[in-house]
Amino acid sequence: MPMLLLSRKSVPTPNDFTEVQHALHGREFRAEELPFPEKRLKEYVNAGYVSVRHGIIPLNENIFDLLTGKKKWLCVRCGNREQESFAVCSCARCGSKCVYCRHCLTMGIVRACTKLVTWCGPVPELRLPEDVLIGRPLCHWKGSLSSDQQKAAEALLQALEARESFLIWAVAGAGKTEIIYSALEQQLKKGHRVVLATPRTDVVRELLPRIRAAFPDIPVSGLYAGSKETIPDAPLVISTAHQLIRSANRFDCVFIDEVDAFPYHFDAMLDYAVRKAAKPNAPFIFLTATPPDILKNAYLSGKLRGVMLARRYHGYPLPVPRFQWIGNGAHAACKGWLPYPLSLWLRERITQKRQAFIFVPSIALVHELTELLQRSGYTRIAGVHADDPHRHEKLADFREGRLAALVTTTILERGVTVPGVEVAVFGADDRVFDDRALVQISGRVGRSGDCPRGDVVFFHNGKTLAMIRARRQIEQMNRAGGFK
Amino acid sequence: MRCLFCGADFLKPLTFQTVFVLDDTPSFCDTCRGRLAAIAPDACCRCCGRDLSLLESTAVKHHICQDCIWWKHSGRNGLYGTNNALFSYNPLIKEMITRFKFRGDTALAAGFACDLRCAFHRIVKKGSTWRQRLFMTDSSQFVIIPIPVSAHRLRERGFNQAEVLAELIGPPIVQGLVREKHEMKQSKKNRRQRLASRESPFQLNKECIHLLENKKILLIDDIYTTGVTMRLAAHTLIPAHPLSVDSLTLIHG
Ligand SMILES: [Zn+2]
Ligand SMILES: [Zn+2]
Ligand SMILES: [Zn+2]
Ligand SMILES: [Zn+2]
Repeated sequence: MPMLLLSRKSVPTPNDFTEVQHALHGREFRAEELPFPEKRLKEYVNAGYVSVRHGIIPLNENIFDLLTGKKKWLCVRCGNREQESFAVCSCARCGSKCVYCRHCLTMGIVRACTKLVTWCGPVPELRLPEDVLIGRPLCHWKGSLSSDQQKAAEALLQALEARESFLIWAVAGAGKTEIIYSALEQQLKKGHRVVLATPRTDVVRELLPRIRAAFPDIPVSGLYAGSKETIPDAPLVISTAHQLIRSANRFDCVFIDEVDAFPYHFDAMLDYAVRKAAKPNAPFIFLTATPPDILKNAYLSGKLRGVMLARRYHGYPLPVPRFQWIGNGAHAACKGWLPYPLSLWLRERITQKRQAFIFVPSIALVHELTELLQRSGYTRIAGVHADDPHRHEKLADFREGRLAALVTTTILERGVTVPGVEVAVFGADDRVFDDRALVQISGRVGRSGDCPRGDVVFFHNGKTLAMIRARRQIEQMNRAGGFK
Repeated sequence: MRCLFCGADFLKPLTFQTVFVLDDTPSFCDTCRGRLAAIAPDACCRCCGRDLSLLESTAVKHHICQDCIWWKHSGRNGLYGTNNALFSYNPLIKEMITRFKFRGDTALAAGFACDLRCAFHRIVKKGSTWRQRLFMTDSSQFVIIPIPVSAHRLRERGFNQAEVLAELIGPPIVQGLVREKHEMKQSKKNRRQRLASRESPFQLNKECIHLLENKKILLIDDIYTTGVTMRLAAHTLIPAHPLSVDSLTLIHG
């Protein structure tokens, strides 16, 4: 009899095991999109190697919810708990009314009856290129670090050695990315899986070629909306936080660049996604010019290790924005009047042969102002915004100097580095521009060592708290950097 | 109020309805609405419901488009009367239908509830005699049949998009048709292949035949493309002896 029982229960062969392990590890599948029939997983589930859980669970947080009987939900995959983002459908799969999450639909629908499958057994060995095993240096970046950068890099290495989280609070233009190269090398050599997450697709696309050039021997995978993960289980992944929703329990070390990348502030849901993608106890390294209060307070009170770089790598102070009253500029532009101070400022830039960014609060205003300026005789001007299909060409034109000025929404506030550029914010009192966005915008100016100074002007119709705070922050950073 | 599609906050215009009845039916914001290409009921093809203002005038004869003239001459119209469509195919509706049909965001359809109901009332009114109109607009002789999907597709997708739309219009919905075969996706065929198909993928639902006799039938689907599906469905309904067969779709495209 016992023989019979044994023979009925099939034991996974080693081949089968590695196949399932490699397919599932680090990722979270909906049961219906598994690369093999769900039945095949049964033994693994019984052995505790694979976990299966419901996609949406009830979330009854307090007594009041229980009393009113109003059901609340949590999407286990993306962490959505905003009740407005759930809807009910009559589901043919389970034959009843099913709640589903509207937040993570692009990754395949998660309904209440959807099962999420992850690997929780032994971690598969990372297949590493030979150079790692031989012990040759992995980082081929040829530049050198300033002494501030060097100190920061060393502090970071120590924190990671102790598996502790770390904050790199660096002004725009301090050279944050170069600081983490040595830490990346250290982690990769240990055979760790590392992710560099950021809220924005633009930043992924900008970082990917830089990191690939710095680490030519390491397979680097880039994940953003519309990309295909071509390298399975790459040791180094650069990803938008949103794309990490599909990962689970995968990374030993997490770098988060531009924690506060406006307008996608690192919200609770992206935080959930990144935490789910990390292994328990994985250290987090935050890189930012304007840390959110939680991180700032943790750092200042000593709960979070970190370093502050108040000085740009070229050693010059940050340009401090000046304020200029312009009246209701948006209104004037819509009426077809070009506000004189803006026109004057632009003419000065053109005679001094300096390129300019003009930031405006809305897409509608991008169109209005661009047209108005072109009609007023400024021909080498273009408008660009997030949904603009010709955005990349216009940016290239600007970089190569074919355009004198670019009218833009806040999409450009980071990432785009053009030497010698100067900045005007048109309608800086609009509530789109919070203090962190304004600090980031001011950080566009004076990035290169050849041209470390430049004008930053906020055209406004009444100073806002955000404007004053932004200026104060910049002045504080300059003081901390040893400038008067 | 939040826009069902883009998530932006917006204010519903104040009307009698919104002021006196607490109206919280979800809908789309004005920006999204403005980007949809609504078809005006008096400017559409009398047979397929497409927006005639998008065609060159040479392609239109007596308010009927060339495709529909072709159908008339083909002799395959049979019982089938006319189609009514709400929107022309454009990038926004394409995005919406992708999210609704292929990603499963069925809540999105609720934003069209008003449009669908209005269109239904218009169809009822158009089809009734002045006598019926005088005494009461009689919708009881109408029966709504959503175009079915195959069992395979239903399992894969979790719902039938036509049924979701039909439910927004409300009773009397009858599952008069079933689709047994799982055929090639319509969207994978070219126009020629589609027009050539004469074999109906539908069967009459035997349990519902008695509900269809002498009724005006309104078929519901998400999109009217070539018109083949509708005509095949109408053909399948012949043994149930309906009075007429027309259709209503969200999109003409
Ligand atoms: Zn979700
Ligand atoms: Zn279900
Ligand atoms: Zn909208
Ligand atoms: Zn027609």
